[in-house]
Amino acid sequence: MTQDYKREIPANLRGWILKLSMLLLICSTLCPIELHATNIVKNKPSRQSTAKADLNITGTVKDAEGQTLPGVSVSLKGTTTGVTTDANGHYSLKVPDQGGVLVFSFIGYTTVEEVINGRSTINTVMKEESKALSEVVVIGYGTVKKRDLTGSVASIKGEEIGKVPAQNIMESLQGKIPGADITRNSGQTGSGVSITLRGNRSIGGTNSPLFIVDGAIYFGNIADLVPSDIASVDVLKDASSTAIYGSRGANGVIIITTKKGVAGKATIDVNSYYGISKASLYPKVATGLDAVTLRREAYRTAGKWASVADDPKIFNNAELADIAGDIYTNYQDLLLHRGNQEDHHIGLSSGSEKTKVYTALDYYREEGLFTMDNITRYSGRVNVDHTINSILKAGMQAQITYNNQNVRADPLNQANKISPLGAAFNPDGSIILYPNGGSSINPLADEQPGVFANNVTGNNTLATTYLELTPIKGLSIRSNFSVNFQNSRNGIYQGANTIARNGAVARSNFNMSTATNVLWENIISYHKEIGAHTFDLTGVSSYQNRLTEASGEQGDGQLLASQIYYGLQGATSGIVASSGYIKETLVSGAGRINYGYKGRYLLTLTGRSDGSSKLGDSHKWTFFPSAAAAWHVTEESFMKNVKQLDDLKLRVSYGVSGNDPYGSQNAYPIQSLLTNVPFSYGETSAPGYTFNPVVGNPDLSWEKSATLDIGVDFGLFNNRVSGTIDVYDTHTSDLLLPRILPLSTGHGSTLQNIGKTNNKGIEISLSTVNVKSKDWKWSSTLTFTANKEKITQLVTEGVNDIASGYFVGQPVGVFYDYQKIGIWQTSEAAQAAVYGQTPGTIKVMDQNGDGKIDAVNDRVILGNSKPKWSGGFDNTVKYKNWDLNVYVYARIGQMINANSLGFNNYQGTTGNAWAASLDYWTPENPTNAYPRPNSNGGLQYISTLTYTDGSFARIRDISLGYTIPKKFTGTFLKGLRVYANGKNLFTYTKLKDYDPERGGSENYPMTKIVLVGVNASF
Amino acid sequence: MLSTSCKKALTPYNPAGLTAEAVFTTPAGFETLVNAAYSYERWWYGKEEGYSMSEMGTDIWTSGSGDVFPDLNRYVNLQGSNSAVTLMWQQLYAGVNLCNAGIARIDGAGYSATQRNTRLAELQFLRAFYYWHIVETWGNVHFTTEESLGIVTTANRTPVEVFYAQIIKDLQFAVSNLPPTTSDYGRVTKYAAEAFLSRVYLTRGLNKESINAANDVIKNGGYTLLTNYADLWNMANMQNKEVIYAVNYSANLALDDAKDAILYPFGAARGGNNGHLEFIMKYDDQPGMLRDIANGRPFNRYMPTLFLLNLFNDADDARYDGSFKNVWIANSTSRPAGMNIGDTAVFVTKNTVPLATQATKVYRTYDRVKMYRTDGSALDNLHYPTLSKFLDPTRPDINQVASARDVFVIRLPEMYLNAAEAEQKLGNLDSAAYYVNIVRARAAKPGHTTQMRVTSAQMTLDFILDERAREFAGEQIRWFDLKRNNKLVDRIKADNPDAANNIQAFHLLRPIPQTQLDAVTNRDQFKQNPGYQ
Repeated sequence: MTQDYKREIPANLRGWILKLSMLLLICSTLCPIELHATNIVKNKPSRQSTAKADLNITGTVKDAEGQTLPGVSVSLKGTTTGVTTDANGHYSLKVPDQGGVLVFSFIGYTTVEEVINGRSTINTVMKEESKALSEVVVIGYGTVKKRDLTGSVASIKGEEIGKVPAQNIMESLQGKIPGADITRNSGQTGSGVSITLRGNRSIGGTNSPLFIVDGAIYFGNIADLVPSDIASVDVLKDASSTAIYGSRGANGVIIITTKKGVAGKATIDVNSYYGISKASLYPKVATGLDAVTLRREAYRTAGKWASVADDPKIFNNAELADIAGDIYTNYQDLLLHRGNQEDHHIGLSSGSEKTKVYTALDYYREEGLFTMDNITRYSGRVNVDHTINSILKAGMQAQITYNNQNVRADPLNQANKISPLGAAFNPDGSIILYPNGGSSINPLADEQPGVFANNVTGNNTLATTYLELTPIKGLSIRSNFSVNFQNSRNGIYQGANTIARNGAVARSNFNMSTATNVLWENIISYHKEIGAHTFDLTGVSSYQNRLTEASGEQGDGQLLASQIYYGLQGATSGIVASSGYIKETLVSGAGRINYGYKGRYLLTLTGRSDGSSKLGDSHKWTFFPSAAAAWHVTEESFMKNVKQLDDLKLRVSYGVSGNDPYGSQNAYPIQSLLTNVPFSYGETSAPGYTFNPVVGNPDLSWEKSATLDIGVDFGLFNNRVSGTIDVYDTHTSDLLLPRILPLSTGHGSTLQNIGKTNNKGIEISLSTVNVKSKDWKWSSTLTFTANKEKITQLVTEGVNDIASGYFVGQPVGVFYDYQKIGIWQTSEAAQAAVYGQTPGTIKVMDQNGDGKIDAVNDRVILGNSKPKWSGGFDNTVKYKNWDLNVYVYARIGQMINANSLGFNNYQGTTGNAWAASLDYWTPENPTNAYPRPNSNGGLQYISTLTYTDGSFARIRDISLGYTIPKKFTGTFLKGLRVYANGKNLFTYTKLKDYDPERGGSENYPMTKIVLVGVNASF
Repeated sequence: MLSTSCKKALTPYNPAGLTAEAVFTTPAGFETLVNAAYSYERWWYGKEEGYSMSEMGTDIWTSGSGDVFPDLNRYVNLQGSNSAVTLMWQQLYAGVNLCNAGIARIDGAGYSATQRNTRLAELQFLRAFYYWHIVETWGNVHFTTEESLGIVTTANRTPVEVFYAQIIKDLQFAVSNLPPTTSDYGRVTKYAAEAFLSRVYLTRGLNKESINAANDVIKNGGYTLLTNYADLWNMANMQNKEVIYAVNYSANLALDDAKDAILYPFGAARGGNNGHLEFIMKYDDQPGMLRDIANGRPFNRYMPTLFLLNLFNDADDARYDGSFKNVWIANSTSRPAGMNIGDTAVFVTKNTVPLATQATKVYRTYDRVKMYRTDGSALDNLHYPTLSKFLDPTRPDINQVASARDVFVIRLPEMYLNAAEAEQKLGNLDSAAYYVNIVRARAAKPGHTTQMRVTSAQMTLDFILDERAREFAGEQIRWFDLKRNNKLVDRIKADNPDAANNIQAFHLLRPIPQTQLDAVTNRDQFKQNPGYQ
């Protein structure tokens, strides 16, 4: 019954909204003249009744510090008569009414009204508004002044993003949004960032927030958005803010707004930088004699080597010659080079009162640490807003991006495995494919001319057009139509003599995909004030359709390497073709009521109902409600005398939002499908179809996160100190977890709404102006985030899901293994023997003390990959024309599983390198660090060596800029700033030679960058 | 109108996805089910996990240096977390479930009556085949003849007798309904089913029935022993007259079972036949030697026990040289002084070579003393006689793991040795000797048939088991041969010093995968096999 109710109401609501918005749209196009006319009529009487003698008024507008203010709008109250102040703050205005009132308004300043009273000179001083409160914050389907905000929203302005150059907006926000955990994925060019807000709620699926760009859902790569084009980023965190996005809101919503054109004289901004990068921290492998010694030790352990005389038993002739000739290769040195990155951006803002245009072009190029690892990106943007008449506006925000990336197959895994003995190159400069006559391919193999190509090109177009109608005061009807169209092509050619093919016949792949996301949304908002009561009503109808089509071809044995991945019809074997189709549709209706009483008491109620093609009939529609209230304490009369406190607001919100954890990857989770099996009788193909191990579940619904958020916003000492503190408690239920089915059913798993997680945390953001004088200004922002994530219920009721690494009471991503407590020492031989070990092997804790080590009783949770806290400390110091920014980022308390600590081959067999200066056990060196090499193998518990504390603090950015004084730049050049910036230059970590932000992988090391740039404004 | 269009918009459309209802209801579609039902054999036969569970952990093999499953090989801390045990459990039951589904759905496939019966017989054979592996490996575990529909979270414990009743019933149906031959190499035939039935009867102590089935195959199946044992392993001679049943692999690797995002997303990590990798000693670190296609890619997973090497009287028995590679020929440009390409670079021998003699040779010698300790345990598990049966010089490149070699599941000699074993158990030692001598006559080196001949007095069960080791070493059967005769523990304790201290009686059943135990909701009924944690 309740489900029927849920299904019916929203459909009606949606229908109602759709009909109403269509009606109004039609109305607006048919009868704009009449509507316009009423507006004129309304103005007429005022002109007639107050018209007396014309008066010329001139004056200058200054700020509190005595600086003139250009661009202030000066108007006669109640009329359309008005001008703006010139570059010197002067204005001149002819008014017909000596008894009228002049209104001075300027963004960021408190509006001033001056009664004319017959004066012909009116100078005025405008005070800066309390910035924090007047800022407009973008929320779902609308905006609100920060003072009226009831939810938890972090807002970052474009200047903040543009301050330090970054290849990706999200990277420049690292540590600046309390509650967000942002890490760069790797040092590969164009590599993305992972971002989670307030921990991981979903176990099996995505925890990535929803991105909205200029009102449209954005599916593309965030790196495609150009940082210099961004006006603001608003991060919606609590359920009250996100519930308006319903089934996609639970991971938080990041709303990106791009710059708009400004009326007045055109401005041209040019931003350019160029920088060089190198590997940040990366472990060295043993070279030279180290490696030789290690192998000798491995064989000595096995009793096969006693002295150098035994070398011929353990090294082949080539290797012996290398040792004698001191011929070694450090492949890391040959592979890792200096990279570079550069970005050139030109932004043009212009417009009249009616039409405002922002146009931008951007070129980005990055060369990675490896050759053949690079990306080039071109993008262009046009944002147009056009006022057609007093009630109708239309516009478009559009960006096109073209990416061209060459992807290098990371060679470091091979470089860290191959023996350092022997030369990498022949005397003629060509590489030796199998150094030392060994069986490991040269890590440089892919760098041979023409043997390897992996090229990705992609286009990403996001265009949103809108039509906005304001037929009567307070009412706005807006229709947004967006298309996000992405296509990509990935061509791969791997010749026979590449790392991937390792001698096998050359292989080519050619894959194409297109994704079309169509979003049509109609938004009605109505603002009404009745006495001290303020109402804002918002209604939304939404239709979203996402279609992905892909095709791929593969073939082996191209005739010519120069064909790379083209002409695959000439492939001689291994020909594979595929094509795919994924479609999902979401239909939604949503509404919101904002109520305010005297600006003191604020209330927000929202609800959204989503209908999805992905869910079965019994769970098609889901409703997501939320409520929030805020109390603006400083608006109360009894607070008027508390001078130190400028602002104090208490907020509380509760709501439910959803998560579709499998995103577009799994559009058909309710269906049980078949999967193909290649098969043959003799040499005759006999294709098979069997059951996909993943069984469909028609009873699926969304994951639901219910969040309680309590927050306080405050400003102290003339807003020299301001901040926000939020505590939250999110209970996520109906987790879509792959339920491992008993394998005896013949099935593997199914998705089920079962399992729960809990995230509790605190977020603090504190901004201070530490020094403010004529020449000096020092301001800081401190952010702090601590989130405690835990699983509270699992599919495997009563027991932990060890195979998946899920433990009740623990976060996702725990490290569960034996616990290394040292190395068995010679004196402990008898005790070691109890465990079947010998001195020099790894000693692990016998947790239950039963005299044996087994998987059930002796593995424990060693740690997890989630930080205990993370934070940022951003400092900006300005002295005259100099500006210095130092940004420290810390991520503390997480464990990583560092592959690099485990890439030692303890058998010491041919072709396996070791970490440099490895402190391994020998009878002469009774260390507890690393076990004794043994050519006979059989060493157990090697995995225990790689768990390590991944805490780090780093100077993420340090930049120094100088703004050229106006007197040198002249009138054409309005502003010029040059700067130098360093990223990741200093890192503090317990790992002496590894960058823990990389998370443990040995591929694509993280980079540190030094760059110089210029911001010019014309 | 709005709600209709809305309903339509929210109906999933998935033209790229196939459902059982759409595919398994036409003859062409049902063929794909039967093809897929065979494909599960490839998970066990020719794969590392399969070798470790069917050949290893016996009297004839121990761990090479690269062994990744020493817990299966030497019973070191064997637990339900073992990935080979888990994978085989998963794939065998997936095979059973597909067979159950096919058997239940075949009447909706639109087949002609003849074709229906043939395909039904194939599916019943495969179900019996998979269940035999399951019941022998894990004992009285989960059993059903019904397709798992929807989300099933329980498992049952079914007595071994129930398994075997169904296995025998399915196989008898297969024998009655399958054609005697097939043009689709790899499909099961009447005599292949009967040969397997002979093995099943033998396992159940139905000795007379086993002999009858074996004899029918021998007399009417049209199979003959190859003259030369070594010829069995020639890549050009895979489909020979001695093979009763084989798991087929293709030289076109796209038709094999390697995991591939497009072709086979749920495929094996290493597709094709991997047997060639597993037994090769580390030769490419030896003076004068370079890894090449002919010598193979040395994974050195498995090393023969000294006991196995000693079983062969290689003066008379061609099967030692036909099974093991003992000499490596120099192929590298970098060689010790005095060694030319084509000269011996490495010589491995189960005999003892005096150090003084070794010192006179340019090539390197690994003799019994270097390879094994005096108690027979392994001393050098990198260098040892290499089982050469599965080497594949036709692979396209040096490091290619997928071989097109078919895996011989049942060869004609098994029929003779099954019959011999059954006759021995019935006390008919003359008959037992008769069958054994047929196998040994073929195995004899030219002119050594007399020396190879055995008498009825020699017909102990142990002798027959030794004979099976000589004939089938490496062919994924040894563990079952020993288990069938309750000889596993005794033989390992006596003949495999590397595993002798670890083997216990409970090891006659493998551990049930931990994932299975964690996933069932009736944990009180479905528990781990005794002895395991």
